[in-house]
Amino acid sequence: MKVEILTPSASVFEGEANLVQLPGADGLFEILNNHAPLITFLGKGKMKIENKDNTTFFNLDGGVVEVLNNKVLVLAEKCSSI
Amino acid sequence: MANLKEIRIRIASVQSTQKITSAMKMVSAAKLRRAQNAILTLRPYSNKLTEILGNIASSDTQDNPLAEVRPINNVLVVLIASNKGLCGGFNSNIIKHTEHLLSHDLAQPHKNNNVQFLCIGKRVSDYVRNKQYPCIGCYDHLLDNPSFEDIANIADGFMNDYTTKKYDKIIIVYNEFKNAATQVLTDSQYLPIPTTMGKIQTSKVDYIFEPDKDTLYQSLIPKIMKVRLYKCLLDSIASEHGARMTAMHKATENANELIKSLNLTYNKLRQSSITNEIIEIVSGANALNA
Repeated sequence: MKVEILTPSASVFEGEANLVQLPGADGLFEILNNHAPLITFLGKGKMKIENKDNTTFFNLDGGVVEVLNNKVLVLAEKCSSI
Repeated sequence: MANLKEIRIRIASVQSTQKITSAMKMVSAAKLRRAQNAILTLRPYSNKLTEILGNIASSDTQDNPLAEVRPINNVLVVLIASNKGLCGGFNSNIIKHTEHLLSHDLAQPHKNNNVQFLCIGKRVSDYVRNKQYPCIGCYDHLLDNPSFEDIANIADGFMNDYTTKKYDKIIIVYNEFKNAATQVLTDSQYLPIPTTMGKIQTSKVDYIFEPDKDTLYQSLIPKIMKVRLYKCLLDSIASEHGARMTAMHKATENANELIKSLNLTYNKLRQSSITNEIIEIVSGANALNA
């Protein structure tokens, strides 16, 4: 599935992933391929993106995530890679 | 008529002015490109956010305290302009429009001294200070370094002031960026939230909403409001550089024309003085021969 992270000042990440782990409002949750359409907001914490070759982490500071048609779109107010 | 030396000095001074204006044009062009990039990266974010809001918004989620329309007593006007001049009508348009607002739409609250100002940009803060209008703050530094966090704090303050009924209406006056040559003077109602916003029903996808639509809606609204304010600021910055670029381009062209016409007069004068000299020499020689 495709993953995209947007912030007001830049597009932080765009790429393929097998698994995305996100800090939900009530705790961590994961999104796998072919997830059902979902909209929820995110809390503060670490975000993990896993694909075949490597795993990347990002620091998130609140935001919204939309999952639709095998595409994960994260709208974060602040986001930086670790 | 001016003599040769005067014209020569004049030409030199116009030339050096032209050098300055064309350099300023280049600088503005470079800054414009950066400001334009900032807008272009913000646009997908704000479009997506609005789209998501449209997906969530439904008839049962409209009782938002920020959308509540009240009789207008206290008004806050946010003016966004520039720190520097030399950008054509960029700043004066904002000021003119503000005067127009104060004498028409906001005449009643203005008479009761209930219109307050918040200024971004030295030019407008000077104007508000000169007119001695009530001003709640100047954020001139934001134009040089537009950070989302600062804007988010200001927007939070606005939303707080609106819900505590300190203000009944918040208006932003700024120049919207169309392209490098065109800026559109805009006064947009920031709060209460315009009814057209967030009502575009888009896809009919059956989303899972977590935790539920209402909570999501209430938490998305502040985010959207922050982005809206940030977008106004970025628009204004890009417009400023666009306006300055156009103004400096025109100035350079005018200087070119001026130099051309000065050169013509200079050459005419030079020629006539040479002719004069020859006539003098010839007539002098004739007088000797006779």
